[in-house]
Amino acid sequence: MFLQTQGITKEFGKLRAVNEVSLEIVKGDIHAIIGPNGAGKSTYFNLVTGYHRATSGKVLFKGKEITNLPAYSRCNLGITRSFQITSIYPKLTVYESVLMGLLSHRKVTLNFFSSAKKFFKEEVWRTLEDVGLADQANTLGDSISHGDKKRLELAITLGTEPELLCLDEPTCGMSPEETDIAMGLIKKFSEERGLTILFTEHDMSVVFGIAKRISVLHQGTLIADGTPQEVRASKEVQKVYLGGSA
Amino acid sequence: MVIKQTEQKESMLKRGWWLILLIIIFLIAPAFLSEFYLTVLCEALVMSLFALSFNLLFGYMGQLSFGQAAFYGLGGYTVAMLITKVQFNFWLSIIAGVLVASVIGLIVGFFCVRLRGIYFAVLTLAFGQLIFSVVFKWHDFTGGDDGIQGVFPPEFLKSPTNYYYFLLIVFLLSAFVLWKIIHSPFGQTIISMRENSERTEFLGIHIAKYQLITFVIAAAFAGLAGAIWVPFYRSVAPSYLTWIKSGEPVMAAILGGPGLFFGPVLGMFIMTFFHSWVLGFTIYWPVVMGALILAVIFFLPGGILGFIQEKVNERKEIRNRE
Ligand SMILES: Nc1ncnc2c1ncn2[C@@H]1O[C@H](COP(=O)(O)OP(=O)(O)OP(=O)(O)O)[C@@H](O)[C@H]1O
Ligand SMILES: [Mg+2]
Repeated sequence: MFLQTQGITKEFGKLRAVNEVSLEIVKGDIHAIIGPNGAGKSTYFNLVTGYHRATSGKVLFKGKEITNLPAYSRCNLGITRSFQITSIYPKLTVYESVLMGLLSHRKVTLNFFSSAKKFFKEEVWRTLEDVGLADQANTLGDSISHGDKKRLELAITLGTEPELLCLDEPTCGMSPEETDIAMGLIKKFSEERGLTILFTEHDMSVVFGIAKRISVLHQGTLIADGTPQEVRASKEVQKVYLGGSA
Repeated sequence: MVIKQTEQKESMLKRGWWLILLIIIFLIAPAFLSEFYLTVLCEALVMSLFALSFNLLFGYMGQLSFGQAAFYGLGGYTVAMLITKVQFNFWLSIIAGVLVASVIGLIVGFFCVRLRGIYFAVLTLAFGQLIFSVVFKWHDFTGGDDGIQGVFPPEFLKSPTNYYYFLLIVFLLSAFVLWKIIHSPFGQTIISMRENSERTEFLGIHIAKYQLITFVIAAAFAGLAGAIWVPFYRSVAPSYLTWIKSGEPVMAAILGGPGLFFGPVLGMFIMTFFHSWVLGFTIYWPVVMGALILAVIFFLPGGILGFIQEKVNERKEIRNRE
């Protein structure tokens, strides 16, 4: 068992943003969470990654309960995430940003006397080349294009060599071409690095093109979970979400 | 790639040149300075070390500490009390000063690092004033508002010139250590925390822990600055711990430029020399200083050194293009 949530719930005052969601994510899968705006997708991510604490329910990762662990410990266990609103280092170079993930993951951040730039050169360049940002290595994070920022965040998270990578709308705001490239990358990483990927996405063609499993949230409640075919066939999903167009 | 590397080496050499030149100037300075200005230079060095310690928190970790003088004062008081009350060894007293500042830094930091931004600034201010009050009120132990006089260094350090060289060595070594820390993986981590602490936490960094370590390092170097100053000045007073003293490195960093390693040093040199010079003809020193800070904030937002760096980079770019 890889990642499992058991009846996980998050309340904001009277609002149940996530309502008793029990879900299992299988190792190696590309797993999509979909649902209309405000369905609770980001909140579910926040519960998995430690941004929020669950009101009730449990989160288990590789058999260990992590429900109340802080975000940084979950990351150290192998869960890394990107944010819906891109979160990068505006005033660090692309190179330095990717390096930071590696410094943290390889546990050298308590080294006080060696030069940081000497560490993990190969790994940083490889990651930059993998995501196609090598030619912008010395550019500051806030001077690259929006699509590149999204890719940069992906590269930063890859530095932590996660087992479970949670991507909250990784292609949001990208052009169709950029979206194709980004999804291609995500698929490649999943295959090459054996990554498990949990992601949310608004574009249905993207979701059905890449996901091995899809879970559908509606008003915080899980209304369907299965293969793309199963989800497409679900009456309830068609009713509340796909509007019969699929 | 190859070209890039040689270019880098060249610029390193160039950078190295002005540093070596500066060090030579500092080495021969006593031969040219009157005793008055040598004293001012000593103060500038000590205060620069104090400002560097502060800037580790402010410029690099991105948190404004308004209680840094407490650690400066604690370092000074520890040395003064050990030397005058129990005739403790000079060198060990200085080490003790650093230790006391670090331990109190650990305790104060434990509470402060839970907060960020303005709350962090206010809590450090509150702790600073608390420590000041204890020193000020506990007359029997600390001498209260009388302070402590007659803190003498060993015989061979009694001449201002010799003491100056001692201060210079401590300053250079400390600056070197701080420079190394800032460019280490640890330094990269606190810079990342400054830039985006959420992102950094989600890369597996326990933010509060790194803030605490930085806080203790900063307290230790502030304590060292206080510890080496007091035997030169021969006395210590509670004013060393006040929030006014805590404000000095803040101003120095803003004046010189908090984004550059030597920014606060330049700021402190300007402030210290300007202070002793202005005092010669006006007592309205704070007014003059205030106006200067205002001008820098409005016209040179990166500080004076930041401005110079910017101009140098611009010229380099133009030359590269040609
Ligand atoms: N920190 C918060 N405080 C209060 N309410 C919140 C908070 N975060 C989310 N919510 C609410 O919880 C509900 C679910 O929000 P969430 O961001 O999880 O939706 P989503 O499925 O990610 O939507 P979108 O597709 O727009 O990103 C929304 O009604 C939202 O307003
Ligand atoms: Mg969302």
